[in-house]
Amino acid sequence: MSDENANMMDYIEAANLLKKYSIRVVDSKYIESEDDAVSFSNGDTIVMKVLSDKALHKTKSGVIKLDLSKEDDIRTAYKDLIEKSADLKPYKILAQKMIKGGIEIIIGGNTDPSFGKVLLLGFGGIYVETFKDVSMRVCPINEFDAGNMISELKSKRIIAPDEKSENMIKDLLMKVSKLLVENDNISELDLNPLILHDGTYDAVDLRFILKGE
Amino acid sequence: MEDMSSSIKIMMNPKNVAIVGASSNPDKVGYSILKNYLDLGYKGKIYPVNIKEESILGLKVYKSVLDIPEPVDVVVVAVPAPLVPNIIDECGRAKSKTVVVVTAGFAEVGEVELEKKLVETANKYNLPVLGPNCVGVMDLGSGVDTLFLPAYKFDRPGIGTLGFASQSGSVAGNILDVIGGENLGLSKFISYGNASIINETDILNYFADDEDTKVLVFYLEGAKRGKEFIEAVKRIGVKKPVIIAKGGETEAGAQAAHSHTASLTGNYQVYDAIFKQYGFIHSNNLDEIISLAKIFDKQPLVTGNRVGLITNGGGTGVLATDALYNNGLVLADLTQESKDYLRKVMPPIVNIRTPLDIGGDADYARFNDAIKTVLNDDNVDVLAIIALFQTPGADSKVAQAICNYSVDSKKPIVVISDGGSYTQTHKKIIESSGIPVYSSPEMAAKSISALINYAKYKEAASKLYE
Repeated sequence: MSDENANMMDYIEAANLLKKYSIRVVDSKYIESEDDAVSFSNGDTIVMKVLSDKALHKTKSGVIKLDLSKEDDIRTAYKDLIEKSADLKPYKILAQKMIKGGIEIIIGGNTDPSFGKVLLLGFGGIYVETFKDVSMRVCPINEFDAGNMISELKSKRIIAPDEKSENMIKDLLMKVSKLLVENDNISELDLNPLILHDGTYDAVDLRFILKGE
Repeated sequence: MEDMSSSIKIMMNPKNVAIVGASSNPDKVGYSILKNYLDLGYKGKIYPVNIKEESILGLKVYKSVLDIPEPVDVVVVAVPAPLVPNIIDECGRAKSKTVVVVTAGFAEVGEVELEKKLVETANKYNLPVLGPNCVGVMDLGSGVDTLFLPAYKFDRPGIGTLGFASQSGSVAGNILDVIGGENLGLSKFISYGNASIINETDILNYFADDEDTKVLVFYLEGAKRGKEFIEAVKRIGVKKPVIIAKGGETEAGAQAAHSHTASLTGNYQVYDAIFKQYGFIHSNNLDEIISLAKIFDKQPLVTGNRVGLITNGGGTGVLATDALYNNGLVLADLTQESKDYLRKVMPPIVNIRTPLDIGGDADYARFNDAIKTVLNDDNVDVLAIIALFQTPGADSKVAQAICNYSVDSKKPIVVISDGGSYTQTHKKIIESSGIPVYSSPEMAAKSISALINYAKYKEAASKLYE
């Protein structure tokens, strides 16, 4: 894990790459002060996370703060994070707008030594390993493949209850496939969770592993 | 790709053949191969090659391929591994067109250098080689059989439309024997062992273009040229159904594959994804493979999933209904016209609905009326008949009635029937008409479902990929 981590693409860089392919990423920003955090929130509910090579499991290590909207709470949380992260240096603090509700899915990519880039779709979040409700295709995929990736899932009616959401996910899968094919330097990627909500979606956690030397 | 495909074509229908390592000793592989060529009535010229012998089974023996008076289409090599590279070199100098190396003892047992030498020698002459470590090819139409399995030990299949390719020789012998015992005929068979020159991609491309093959069964351990393999899968998948078994699902299995055939067994899930993506039917269960082969071989493709189910046993009808729904199929709702007709001809105890339970005492006439009506009903896509031959009314005439409808049916027909020797006899009669008979409703439903899924894939993919 630590080897992989050393080759991980910076969060904001990864987010910008996704945006280049018109893939939505939740509003995110590195913050450097309490004031920064408050102005980023601008009244919205936010999440703050410490990103460090030494803090892979954010929820476990307590270096993530959820559901912050009041100015006082944001300031207190920020102070607390700084304190707890003393031995995680070097680190960055990422603030994100918080999405409430929605359905968590995973879209992932990997490189197979003989077949090249593969794309994965699954019912996501922290239970992805438990349910293993996933489908896979080799890249590049077309619309037909994307549709089948969805219909192969047991959870298809949960993640794509109507034609509009199905088309949205199909389009998204094709975009990720394109990104994988066109960026040979990325050997693995996880968009997990990617949250489906309010007729749209947002990638929340991004993990892009770069090809080793 | 074109070259290798045409080389395989030559192997399947050669005008002459040399067998290096031919022997007069019935315990030797080189004897069985020669004997099989003779037994199958191969029409071309056969040249046995052996340094020590003068004549085998009445044929003149040559000391070397180089002594044969004309270039040979196929040289089958069955001599000890260390001698093989030298034989290949002789084949190259003798301008042989293709070579099948049956001999084992190469990369699969760690003799990587020896295999490298084989490949280098073959490449020097641009010589297409099948194997090593394979049982070769079989084309019953042209009388070609390089298999060294003694004929009396296994049921050689008849001529038909099922193609079969296998990396492993042992899986091959086993499946061929089973196919021979079932009502399935073989078009062509290829075992390709270590795939050192001709590999799985070439073989898929060959079968894609082979007009004698309607359905392909393929046993794969690993693919060597990844991207080209995907292209070949895509190419054949849109043309004909391929039922594929892929070893190495578990990690232990993958290790076994490595020591068994020197193959780079890739990531199992990725293979599965490729098969799903391009319409292959993936099954690692031998019984299931045969069941699937049967429905694809003789039954037409349809995309509709409404099953007209007829039964002469109530309980079995209920179980079969569950099996249908569990496999994504539905019971057909008959048209009013069919219902009216059935009401008129069926006795009052028969409920006119699907599953159509025609009663434990159903005889030829009742079966015949039910089959005729349900099969021709516009609301029915597939006909499934449960025929329990333990019942008083079910006899050979019932089997015959079922067979009669196999001839011009545009809809797939399957039968579900299980039991002892009386049933087995009737099962054989029905299967000889091309209608598959399944022992369990579950297997029948799975097979119907696979047929429909493939038909849907083919319909969509032919617009995309052809």
